[in-house]
Formats: sequence, structure tokens, C-alpha cells
Amino acid sequence: MIDTADTIPHESGGGRFRWSTVQPWLTLACRIGLAAVLITAAVTKFPPALSVEAVEAYDLFPTALAELIGYTLPLFELALAALLLVGLATRYVGAVGTLLMVVFIAGIISAMARGLNIDCGCFGGGGTVAPEETDYGISIARDLAFAAMGAFIAFFPRSPFALDRLFGLFR
Amino acid sequence: MGSEARKRARARIREEREREKRAAQRKKTLLVVGSAAAAVLLIVVVGYAIMTADRSTGYEGELAQETLQADGSVVMEQDDAEAPVVEVYADYQCPACRQFENTNGDLLKEMAAEGEAIVHLRPVSIFAVQPAPTSSNSLRAGAAARAAADHDVFVEYNDLLFAHQPNSAQEGYTTDELKEWFRETDASEEQASEFDESVDAEAGVVTEFTEEFLPALNQDALDEIGEENLGTMALPDLLVWGEQNGHDSSFLDGTYTGEIINATETAYTRYSGENMFRGTPAVYINGTQIDNDSAMSPRRLRDAIEAAGAGEVESEPMEEGDANKDP
Repeated sequence: MIDTADTIPHESGGGRFRWSTVQPWLTLACRIGLAAVLITAAVTKFPPALSVEAVEAYDLFPTALAELIGYTLPLFELALAALLLVGLATRYVGAVGTLLMVVFIAGIISAMARGLNIDCGCFGGGGTVAPEETDYGISIARDLAFAAMGAFIAFFPRSPFALDRLFGLFR
Repeated sequence: MGSEARKRARARIREEREREKRAAQRKKTLLVVGSAAAAVLLIVVVGYAIMTADRSTGYEGELAQETLQADGSVVMEQDDAEAPVVEVYADYQCPACRQFENTNGDLLKEMAAEGEAIVHLRPVSIFAVQPAPTSSNSLRAGAAARAAADHDVFVEYNDLLFAHQPNSAQEGYTTDELKEWFRETDASEEQASEFDESVDAEAGVVTEFTEEFLPALNQDALDEIGEENLGTMALPDLLVWGEQNGHDSSFLDGTYTGEIINATETAYTRYSGENMFRGTPAVYINGTQIDNDSAMSPRRLRDAIEAAGAGEVESEPMEEGDANKDP
């Protein structure tokens, strides 16, 4: 396999050689893992009325915008998941996934800082909960892990079973 | 041509090729990113269209007859309809209740008007025990809705309240606002002045309850029975405990504020097991609670109602004589 501008430059031989065989499979695992996370997140947000409520609980957006986000965020998550599964624009989808997680983390931190007692609504649920039922720490840690998966994909986009290869990208 | 010149020419050609390769690569990347972006857009737009098609359709027709019940709730039905009874418990300060109203309000009006459902609207105040202004907003709105029911404009007023739901951390549902919204209903000017009186009187009761009575009772109970026991105590038990320990709640008697607190207590004790009333919105079809997912989707809610048989309204209509101030 020949390196292109899209893969990290590396010399062959020694431990590096093993990395170049293992890495594509790691990326594939991240693609499938992150896609599974996103699909779960999207499906559990159904029906949209509940998802709207979860967005409103953050108290960050005017009602109309919260409504729009509540409806479209699960769809956006589904779309990203689909792209990860088929491996189209792998690097960029991974980066967008990471960015999305960073936005989520920012939202949770802002809720925390304002002393709101809400469920993050990450996987369905959402809305106001009892103070002892908030789990901001866990939610942030979880999102950080997902962000790391996205970042791995963005840095090492080369992986098997990807549509990108048909276009000659990330081969 | 000298060898130097040849070398330079070769280098130029090489550079040119490199550039072309890079340009081709960029083009490919753009194509791939472009098609990925298009796919995302397609999924979001088509999905959004499908999901919003499942929303309430915007019912503009005549409302079914609304009948005030002895317990302060309101039944909306066509005369002598034989249909499933859909009970909706809602708190005016609860965001999920507003969401329910936005999502299903029109569906329920339509089904009631067509005799396909008997809609029993049961305002409660689960937030009565929260600190003000959450509690006071919730109670003022609940009492105002009850006052609107005296003038047969409960359903309209209910919609207006949810449309103007304040943030629970801020003072909202003020007496001025409550009065103003009443004038947006079909009520007459005479009714409006009666309504105003009620709103002002109830606002005083609400203030006494949320600013004086409840904090004092809470503090006392905290000292006497400890935080752990207090945490598990529902408002009815707390009020009973208060009665026995010198906290006189008789100022609530005969007020709409007291009535909605009673209605809330009754909701907590009316059901058991799977049907237990835990919070709002709570939707029961013929006495059986339906899950949140079904309650929040008009399509599923309609299916659930259509699948149910005819039911009986559990409460009694308010007698003509005691239409005022006797919960």
C-alpha cells in the first residue's frame, strides 16, 4: 500500500509497520463504535416532543430554535452515523463528530455552571431532575470518550470498507 | 540546450505534475465532502418533513361542550358521547406539559368535538411544594384557569396559559398578565371583572401559602422529623403533619388555590401500581396510564385512544348552586 498525502507520513520497518496494519482496523472500529453511539442517541430521543423538552431544559435558546434543534439534532446524528458506516468523507465526518461532542460538553458545563438540575438528554430523557439525580460528570466523561473516537478517525482516516476508497481517498 | 537547462525543465515538469496531482486530489476531496454534506442535508430535511407531519394539525373548528366538575376539573365532550375517557393531568409551570399541549392539544380538541374522545382536563400543581417563584407561578395559573372555568372559557384560557408559560426561575403568570389574557377569550366585560377579583384574591392566598405557610411548615418539619423523613413526605402527608403541629391551613379552604392543591393530592393517591401518578403530564385512557412516548406523539396517542372502548367520567359535574367557592 502506498501512502498518500492523506495518511500520516511514516517510515516502514520496525514497530511502525505494525501500526500501519493495525491502524485501519482501529479506525474501522471507531467508525462502527461512534456510529452505534450516534444511532442509539438519535433513536432514544424519539419522539421529538421529548427531545425538544430536553433542549429547552438547557435554557439556552429561544423556544422556536429549541424546537428546531429538538427535531433536527437526532436526524443530524443519524446522518453522521450513516456516513461513518459507509465511510464517506471519513476524516471530515470524524472531525464533525468530535466537534458535536465538544458542543455537547460545552452545553453540559454551562448547565452545571448555572446550577441547573437537568438530565443531559444525551440518550433520551432530559428535562429537570432532582439535584441528586444529575450526572454531569459521567455525561462529560462519556462525551469525551466519543470525542476521542471522532478525533482518531479524523487523524487516521484510512480504513477498510470505506466508500472513500472508491474515490481514491484515504487509501 | 545545456544540462543545467534540461534539469530545470525537468524540475518544472515535475512540479507541474505535482501541482496537477494536488489539484486532482483537492477536487476528489471536495466531491466526497460535498456529497457527504448533501447526504446529511437530505436526511435532515426529509426526516424533518416526516416528523413534523406527525404534529397536531391545527384544529380550528368548534370546541366540544366543556363542563366544570365538582372537583374543579373540566370535561370536554360532545353531548352524551360514547367514547374513551382521556384524562390529562398538567401543571401550568411544567415545560413538558406545555410540550404536550403543543403536540396534542389540537388532536384532543378535534377528537372531543367529533365525539371520538371524552377529554377530561385535570389541572394540578406538582410544583406547589417547590420554592417560589416556581410554586407561586404554578398555583396562580392553576387558580386562574379554575376561575376561567366558571365562565366556560377554560379550554381557551388553558391554551393561553401554556402559550405564555414563563421560565420557572422567574416571576411569571402575574395577576396583570392573567387578567389581560382572559380578555383574549370570548368572555364578556362583566365576566372579566369577576375574573379579576378572583385572580387578585387567589394571588394573596398563593403568596401566603408559598412565602409564609409552606416555608414555616417545612422548617418546622425539618427540625422535628429530620431531612431524611421529610424528603419522602408528599405534600398531603406534610399538610396533615402540619395540622397536628399547629400549622393551620384553613386559609386555603374554599379557595381555588386550595382546590388545586387538593386536586394534586388526590392525583397522587388515586392510582396504584403501574398506574401511579408520578408527575406531569400524565395521561390516562379509561383510567390506565399511557407511557410518555405514546403521550408525546399525536399519531400514537390517537391510535391508543381509538383502540380503547367507551369509558365513564369519574367525577361529577358541578351543581348549579355551588358554582362558586366550594371545592
